Amino acid sequence: MKPAAFELHAPEAVDDVVALLAEHGDEVKVLAGGQSLVPMLALRLTRFEHLVDVNRVPALAGVEAHGGELRIGATTRHRAVEQSDEVARAVPLLARATANVGHFQIRNRGTLGGAVAHADPAAEQPAVAVALDAVMEIASRGSTREVPAGDFFQGTWTTALEPHELLTAVRFPVWSGRCGAAVEEVARRAGDFALVGAVCAIALGDGGVERAAIALFGVGDTPVRASEAEAVLTQGGDAAEAAARAVDTIDPIDDLHASAAYRTKVAGVVVRRAIERAKEEATGA
Amino acid sequence: MTTAARFVGQSVRRKEDPRLLAGQGRYADDVSLPGMLHVAFLRSHVAAGTIRSIDTSAAAALPGVRAVYTAADMNDVSGPIHASAGGAPPFGPPLLLLAADDVRFVGDPIAMVVATSRYIAEDACDLIDVDIEPTDAVATVEAALADGAPLVHPELGTNALAQLAMPDPELQEILDNAAHVVTRTFAMARTTNVPMEGRGIVATYDEYGGELRVWPSTQSPGELKAFASRVTGVGEHQVRIEFGDVGGGFGQKMYPTREEAGVVLAAKLLRAPVKWIEDRRENLIAANQARHDVATLTMAVDAEGHFQALVFDLIEGVGSYPPGGGTAAGGMLVMLMMTGPYRIAKTGFSCTTVFTNTCGKAPFRGPWAIETIAREQMVDEVAREIGMDPIELRRRNVIHQSDLPYAMTSGMLYDIVTPEETLEQAVEILDRDAFRAEQATARADGRLLGVGVSGSIEPSAVGMGPYATEQAIVRIDVSGKVEVLMGTGSHGHSLETTIPQVVAEHLGCDIDDVVLRQGGDAPYGPGTGGSRSAVIAGGAAQTAATTLREKIVSVAAHLLEAAPEDLEVADSRVSVRGTPSRALTFAELAGTAYLNAAMMPPGLEAGLEASSRFSPPSPFTWSNATHVCTCEVDPETGVVTLLRYIVSEDCGVMINPMVVEGQIAGGVAQGIGGALYEEMAYDDDGNPLATTFLDYLIPTASEVPVLEYGHVETPSNSLGGYKGMGEGGAIVSPAAVANAVNDALALVGAHVAQFPITPTRVLDAIEVAASRT
Amino acid sequence: MPDRLIELRVNGESHRVRVEDRTTLADALRDECHLTGTHLACEHGVCGACTVIVDGDAVRSCLMFAVQAVGSEVTTIEGITPGDGSLSPVQEAFREAHGLQCGFCTPGFVVSLTAYLDEHPDPTDDDLRDALSGNLCRCTGYQGIVKAARLAVDAMKVDAMNAGAA
Repeated sequence: MKPAAFELHAPEAVDDVVALLAEHGDEVKVLAGGQSLVPMLALRLTRFEHLVDVNRVPALAGVEAHGGELRIGATTRHRAVEQSDEVARAVPLLARATANVGHFQIRNRGTLGGAVAHADPAAEQPAVAVALDAVMEIASRGSTREVPAGDFFQGTWTTALEPHELLTAVRFPVWSGRCGAAVEEVARRAGDFALVGAVCAIALGDGGVERAAIALFGVGDTPVRASEAEAVLTQGGDAAEAAARAVDTIDPIDDLHASAAYRTKVAGVVVRRAIERAKEEATGA
Repeated sequence: MTTAARFVGQSVRRKEDPRLLAGQGRYADDVSLPGMLHVAFLRSHVAAGTIRSIDTSAAAALPGVRAVYTAADMNDVSGPIHASAGGAPPFGPPLLLLAADDVRFVGDPIAMVVATSRYIAEDACDLIDVDIEPTDAVATVEAALADGAPLVHPELGTNALAQLAMPDPELQEILDNAAHVVTRTFAMARTTNVPMEGRGIVATYDEYGGELRVWPSTQSPGELKAFASRVTGVGEHQVRIEFGDVGGGFGQKMYPTREEAGVVLAAKLLRAPVKWIEDRRENLIAANQARHDVATLTMAVDAEGHFQALVFDLIEGVGSYPPGGGTAAGGMLVMLMMTGPYRIAKTGFSCTTVFTNTCGKAPFRGPWAIETIAREQMVDEVAREIGMDPIELRRRNVIHQSDLPYAMTSGMLYDIVTPEETLEQAVEILDRDAFRAEQATARADGRLLGVGVSGSIEPSAVGMGPYATEQAIVRIDVSGKVEVLMGTGSHGHSLETTIPQVVAEHLGCDIDDVVLRQGGDAPYGPGTGGSRSAVIAGGAAQTAATTLREKIVSVAAHLLEAAPEDLEVADSRVSVRGTPSRALTFAELAGTAYLNAAMMPPGLEAGLEASSRFSPPSPFTWSNATHVCTCEVDPETGVVTLLRYIVSEDCGVMINPMVVEGQIAGGVAQGIGGALYEEMAYDDDGNPLATTFLDYLIPTASEVPVLEYGHVETPSNSLGGYKGMGEGGAIVSPAAVANAVNDALALVGAHVAQFPITPTRVLDAIEVAASRT
Repeated sequence: MPDRLIELRVNGESHRVRVEDRTTLADALRDECHLTGTHLACEHGVCGACTVIVDGDAVRSCLMFAVQAVGSEVTTIEGITPGDGSLSPVQEAFREAHGLQCGFCTPGFVVSLTAYLDEHPDPTDDDLRDALSGNLCRCTGYQGIVKAARLAVDAMKVDAMNAGAA
């Protein structure tokens, strides 16, 4: 189980990365933490003539607060996100979701940008990005653009990124006030990809739920934002009602590990539990 | 002339550990020889098809490629592939080294590339142009049995072999008149062994010396030696097995396979060292697989809950090329063992062996386990049917000491077993009343807890046929240290510790002075498997050590001018009882025996060596166990969490209790895997669906609860009182887990009978139950 | 096929080795540095047998290419082993608790746990199980491994106290 041959480039500046991407077109792939790409290369499920290793680009890593947002560089490792006081304070949902990614050895190497750009529909951080209306910062030769998370994920392992583009950072809005966050997922074993999961952030005001953000993962080919369920909560509905609304819109698949019917049913359970836990935390805040 | 028990029975720390912990073990992949070449196999990507053409020219032209072999190069030279111990399989077409005219499962090897690195060998596989015309495949037992199903082996004219039918006219009468007759079907999923080290082998041939040297990953160096000789034509006396560390096997490495044949043959053809290390995808799709049984049981029970009759109809899927031909699962052993630890006077049995276009079935820790997996679930089903607690029902039917010797309907005789004692011990550790109270409290909160019991008698240490013997040569060297040569193939079994424990105990020396050597110059043995090593290898080691001690005492008696009965042996020293200063060390005795033979007692041969080829006194040495498992089922997600796991085991005299408990734990974890997580699934076209560790799910540390052990220690009638126990953990546990889950599900009227018990299956069962009410 | 001469820092020593860009760190350690204690059991990042420490962090060496480790400090099982015939506290605990049988997964467990305990000197039992669940073992049922982890924690605490007292 050995990868086919490629040439590995290890530039140290974003400009050099995007120049290489532009030069090699469809024959090139960005290598970040490699925790998903390298297995696919080893299994020869995919192959590229060129890999651009972005681990040696200092500008791509790090966490910084920017007004009402937290900007996390694409090569910031899961471990750094998970352990960052700043993330825990500003975007607790992301910190908790990141702790659920694989095992600690994977989090030591895997990156936020890699997980987001890989866009596995059962992954946690894409769902957090979608739920919180994160913004993807994208660079290519001579230009940059931004894509809202809601438009970024287009299918299984498919995003709005063009082959010549590089995801440079993800910006998450920072919530304040009486907030709670929860991640609920069901997996076959500890550390496995979720069969189905939900992320939820809640902000409480005087009149109850003021703001809610909910997204599901493992239930389709992209993370699914549960906007109607959010509306149920902000209009005074309870968790069960919101959960019922959340599963209305999903269309999950059958696979070896769970049936579509199972995923639909348990999606409602994890949404309800996530809401309840997030609310409980917000109430105590 | 006695010594206190100082080693046998102690949890001696393992001699093999320091090197393995330091990363200094020597597994097959750690062998590196000058000029070594690397192998990759091109395998079929379809489950059934006709090979129209193979073009290897581009692969052969790739720089670094030394050879590309196809069936035409190999099959006539090697001859059909089969193990040596059992001879050629009785059923099925001959198994050829590489697929020749057609392919019969995904993973069937078609071509073999030998190159300067594994990377290049895989590149070359990508360049082989093979044209296969797919034909219809049968992936499941049901599809294979359907009318007009495509034939896996057209040579046979059928996909199904009916075997071992055992009609009994009195049976029907019992079934017609019993107070309760219950029929249920239980399906055990296809699973696979998953040793952490896959198969692997390095071989080199020296044409001037005439020697074929093989560095294997095998459970059986003796088997591999005979096999490599047969495949290559090199005399067995010139095949040398360099046995090193082996990263697990659990049955998968008992018999050498096609790929290993290819490597030894390529080494001879190319006159170069050749290495093949199976990668994980190959191991999952093309190393042998296991289980895959469907058992329909009918049980007749009287009004008081006494078992009257059991009918066991087994369908076993054996894939395309099972190493044993038709009876790979041990259908014979299922028939022998189907009544387990209970008194059941009448039985019926049938077995249908079904070929499918999938990887072949081979031994996996308790190949006959379905007898326990199905029967123990059946006992719980009967208990629910007649409204009795399953523990109570077991008590009513379990074999008591007063029943012994007890003849099963198969004619086999239980002599020394303690199924009632292990049942009671396990139930006591559980505290059943406390659990039932906890279950009721939890139920009131909407939580589902359950408890499951499972019991079995394990037919260890087969004392018949090719597996009946094992030889030990025990030798004191010139400096007084002890070497033991055996044909075993320890691959995690701790034999490098337990055999020296037995030898040190019976020879009278320190364990640090004893080393076990396997492979190489060791005598032939059928290998390590079948829970045979403690009884048969232990018996051989003990006999040889005892014989050698008698010789040492004779030599010492002569030199010390003392009567043999006045001498005692301890700490590698023979001394006169009561006069410790009158003594000779093993080193001094060896000095006489090897370097000053004239001083030996008259009539005694020089040297200090003894040999014994041991065979146990009974066809089987029975051990037995009862497992108890408790669990919680989340009724909303179907997730099962195991809470407690209790094992009460009687494996006779324990050479090393720590090692015994380690063997139990490993088996239990594999059984938990089979019950809840593992499935080597195929789609309807015969494509394997679990080709990586992302899809084939073995338990992790988070899935296996803390095990609680109880031991009943009843010596066997074999030398030392040992009983084999390597397989019981895996045999007994699946039903314990299933029974616990179903005890919890019974609270909501639900039941699951298909392994693995996935969250989907649990929720489906709950839904079915809810729709009934 | 592009290959290049690189320098790897492993267990405090420099190794100049020739690798292809696609050569994994695991293969380079085993085949070029001749450090065969790092085992390959899945080559797709799930089993943990190939775990090594790169700049202080436990990672899968099958999921890194050797060229990516240039400039980093790599520690393998051979680097954790004292080398004088004695064992590290984690290794000693594995031996004491029968935390290994066939030994193939063992270096990965020892390396992972050593790195983990370095950062988490006082874990709960659940923390330990969670930390251990990134490595697969097929022999032990994890009983001896979980026990060994607890023994190692306790032994290292005693060592730390003694070091503090001295």
